[in-house]
Amino acid sequence: MRDNLKQQIERLKAQNATYVDVRWYPYEETNYLLMWNGNLKSTVAAKESGIGVRVLYQGAWGFSASSDLSNLSAVFDKAFENAKAAAERVTFPVRLAEKDSIVARFDSPVLSNPFDISLEEKVSFLRDLDAKLNQTNVFQRQSDLNFVRKQIIFLDSEGSEIEKNIQEVFSSIAVTGLDEEGNMHDRKFILPRQGSSRGWESIDRDLFNENADRIVKELNQMLKADQCPKDDRSVILLPGIMYLQTHETIGHALELDRILGYELAYAGGSFVTLDDFGTLRYGSEKLTARADATLINSPGSFGFDDDGVEAQNNLLIDKGILVGAITGRQMVEEANAKAKREIFSGSSGANRATAFYRVPIERMTNINIDPGSDGTLEDIIKNTEKGIVLDGDRSWSIGSNREQFHFGTEMGWLVEDGEITDVVKNPTYRGSTVKFWNSLTAVGDESTWRVHFVDNCGKGQPNQIMQLGHGIPVCRFDNVRIGE
Amino acid sequence: MKEKILQTLQDLRQYALSKNYEVTLSYHEEDSYLMRFANSAISLNTNEHLIRLEITAYQDKKRASYELITDLNKLDEMKAGIDTAADMVQYAQPLNYQPTIPIYEASYEDDSAFDINLAEMSSEDKLEFINQAVDGLETDKIKLSGIFSSGANTFALINTRSPHTLYFKSSDAQITLVLAHETLKWEVTAEQSAWNKSNLEAENLHNELAYLIDRYENDQPQQLPLGTYDVVFGPAATAEMISFMNWIAFDGGLMKRGFSFMKEEQIGEKTLSTQFTLSDDAAHLDTFPFKRDLMGLERDKTQLFKEGVFKGFIWSQDDADEFNQIATGHTVPHKSLVVEPGNMEINIIQELASKPRDKDILYVPFLHYMNIVNPSKGIVTGSSRFGALLLKKDGSIIVPYNVRLTHSLLDIFGDKIAWLSNERVAYNVSNSYGARNPTAIIVPKFMKVNDLEISHSNDSY
Repeated sequence: MRDNLKQQIERLKAQNATYVDVRWYPYEETNYLLMWNGNLKSTVAAKESGIGVRVLYQGAWGFSASSDLSNLSAVFDKAFENAKAAAERVTFPVRLAEKDSIVARFDSPVLSNPFDISLEEKVSFLRDLDAKLNQTNVFQRQSDLNFVRKQIIFLDSEGSEIEKNIQEVFSSIAVTGLDEEGNMHDRKFILPRQGSSRGWESIDRDLFNENADRIVKELNQMLKADQCPKDDRSVILLPGIMYLQTHETIGHALELDRILGYELAYAGGSFVTLDDFGTLRYGSEKLTARADATLINSPGSFGFDDDGVEAQNNLLIDKGILVGAITGRQMVEEANAKAKREIFSGSSGANRATAFYRVPIERMTNINIDPGSDGTLEDIIKNTEKGIVLDGDRSWSIGSNREQFHFGTEMGWLVEDGEITDVVKNPTYRGSTVKFWNSLTAVGDESTWRVHFVDNCGKGQPNQIMQLGHGIPVCRFDNVRIGE
Repeated sequence: MKEKILQTLQDLRQYALSKNYEVTLSYHEEDSYLMRFANSAISLNTNEHLIRLEITAYQDKKRASYELITDLNKLDEMKAGIDTAADMVQYAQPLNYQPTIPIYEASYEDDSAFDINLAEMSSEDKLEFINQAVDGLETDKIKLSGIFSSGANTFALINTRSPHTLYFKSSDAQITLVLAHETLKWEVTAEQSAWNKSNLEAENLHNELAYLIDRYENDQPQQLPLGTYDVVFGPAATAEMISFMNWIAFDGGLMKRGFSFMKEEQIGEKTLSTQFTLSDDAAHLDTFPFKRDLMGLERDKTQLFKEGVFKGFIWSQDDADEFNQIATGHTVPHKSLVVEPGNMEINIIQELASKPRDKDILYVPFLHYMNIVNPSKGIVTGSSRFGALLLKKDGSIIVPYNVRLTHSLLDIFGDKIAWLSNERVAYNVSNSYGARNPTAIIVPKFMKVNDLEISHSNDSY
């Protein structure tokens, strides 16, 4: 098969294609189980295979994909034909940043293959968890397991040949309750990174049981709580919401295709301009953010992106100053040319596709905030005069240029004079992105730092879902509007 | 092709019967084309031809599914998939209710919303359409973004309870054109949805874009003061809010799970404006309808709200099984939601802008990134985007920076509704996550809602 694919690449090159690559998925398998109020609502396995072919011709992209591998030349020809049609409307001919020709392999770190675990054992795990969650005032209870494994063979016309064997494990539990007025409230636990591998060994029963008790207890506290006040306070974001703040207002805002206007028809643009790199004070000096695709054991670490560029660890924001972006080969060339200076020295290796039938686009890797020197969560609370601790994502809505946001969280704990006083329900906060990050006044130390997984990041047309990670500490922001 | 699809399903059914399996088989085929524009160029021209087979195996109260992307020449792979599902179901846990397996009493075919000319529209024709729609509107600074998404969608179903089949085929197009200023960052849009090539009208798109560009090029954008405004929503914004209502208002299963702002005791009560009537009506081809649901039930018109009175919840088969209700024909990939028109003769933006008014009106054509803040109260939030205007009572027009609205759908569709346009449009709300599922909602072209508060106002784009 590989030889046949190489022949097809060479055939299109001989027909004056500028660049050709193919991603062949011999297999992508998923296994998803959902237990809801004791009912195993979903017991789903899925398998797909196929190829996606990308052709660059006279500065324009064409793409075609098919699960039918019996006529490879037809898929390659269709991609080439699409590129030729696209070449009829070119304003900035696509150029690709230089990269090395790579022959390599990447394997996700897995000790115990979840696909070797019996369905009985998986169902047993969920059944036990469901029983554990079935406690007083729990109106709805859910638990799920989601396993993915895929093999991707990447070949391009520049001589790269990369094999990736990716495995993912996602799991969560959630409980819902109704307060006296019949309004629903929820609390959940999403499995964060566990150790240095992500196989079945991640599914730690003790960890889930401990968190099941915690979220049920917190739900019960919330059901009796007062409404979150409308107020201006310091907000202390725990990892369960800090990951989303980072995701939405640093990650998406710094995707270079958004900055260059490639997502304007759908996801939106970015308030960031090319002039801002190196000068924009994005946040306070306490903010250092990076895109680290080399972090061990995260869905945002994949060895090589779908341009065939090796995974990297790059600064995005250095002590508050914007210095980098999330990039692939195409966008860095265009950005440097439009800025008339070299902002980017090369691709940051972040061009990824969700499946063989989607084209790679700039995607987050692991967008992390470095831990700080403001101590533990307890230290930060102790040093807060009037604040609120927030956790759990419930609702998120962000302006089209990522310039402002409104988040609803699952739970809030008011802080007065360095101490937690009351639990409040329906907490929300909102702000303007740059102003908010510049109000960052405390960053927790290593003890507060967690790697939170995201399995449902949407972007692009045709739409794509991507998996990634966020390593984030507890952070405090001052003078934030809450309760609206 | 239809014959081959149906014969393959019959062959697979025979295979399942020969093994004494109880299965349902759902075949989905998409031929998807998407031409994407950015910075006035075609940034991507793509197509995917994908065939998906979903096999659900049953064993008394147990259920398990196996899905594969395959093609019609791989009968052995599909049979192996049936074996896998049948193996999985042995280890599944019984549900606490009996899941219904449909018995199709007769075969049913519907391709009334399929137009081969649209499904097979060439790249050249699409580009010509786009060029007409933006003719003369692009400049060195004003750049085109957008999509021309089109394709064909085929569903076919069979199960071991009956040899009869269901077969649906439709074509669809979703066109979004955005003209954005490269440095000032404002953006305006015009959109169209169609199931038939002859429905495509580049001129309408051009006229709307030309009007908005004229406003945005010549007016200085301003930050609006926070406060209460009379708001006119465009079809995109209205359709987006109806989409959320589809989720957290009248879905019986979600109501039972606490994820709804309507309650069972509100059936028969007036809860929204008397001007608001919402139905699920598969008679409208513009909604890419399923005239039967996947259980084989006929999909008669279902009134959800009639003149503000809540008419009741809808029930998919699985929710009906679980909660001991009667399924209402809503086991479908998407519904055909239709809002009745009003009587205001304002149907294009120029008419809205020129109509005398005794108070400022905030025109919000589009709500970006809506989300649910509190499902129990129907509170949603989103930001304006794509061509908002403040129509001053003195007749002048101001271009506002984007604003955020956070409100309950009960308020927005409640007695604050001032009027609805007397003409409607099908607004395409499709996404392309996963399998192609073209979806459109028919809404009045404008809806005026009084006294809505903006909670955040940008000082720039």
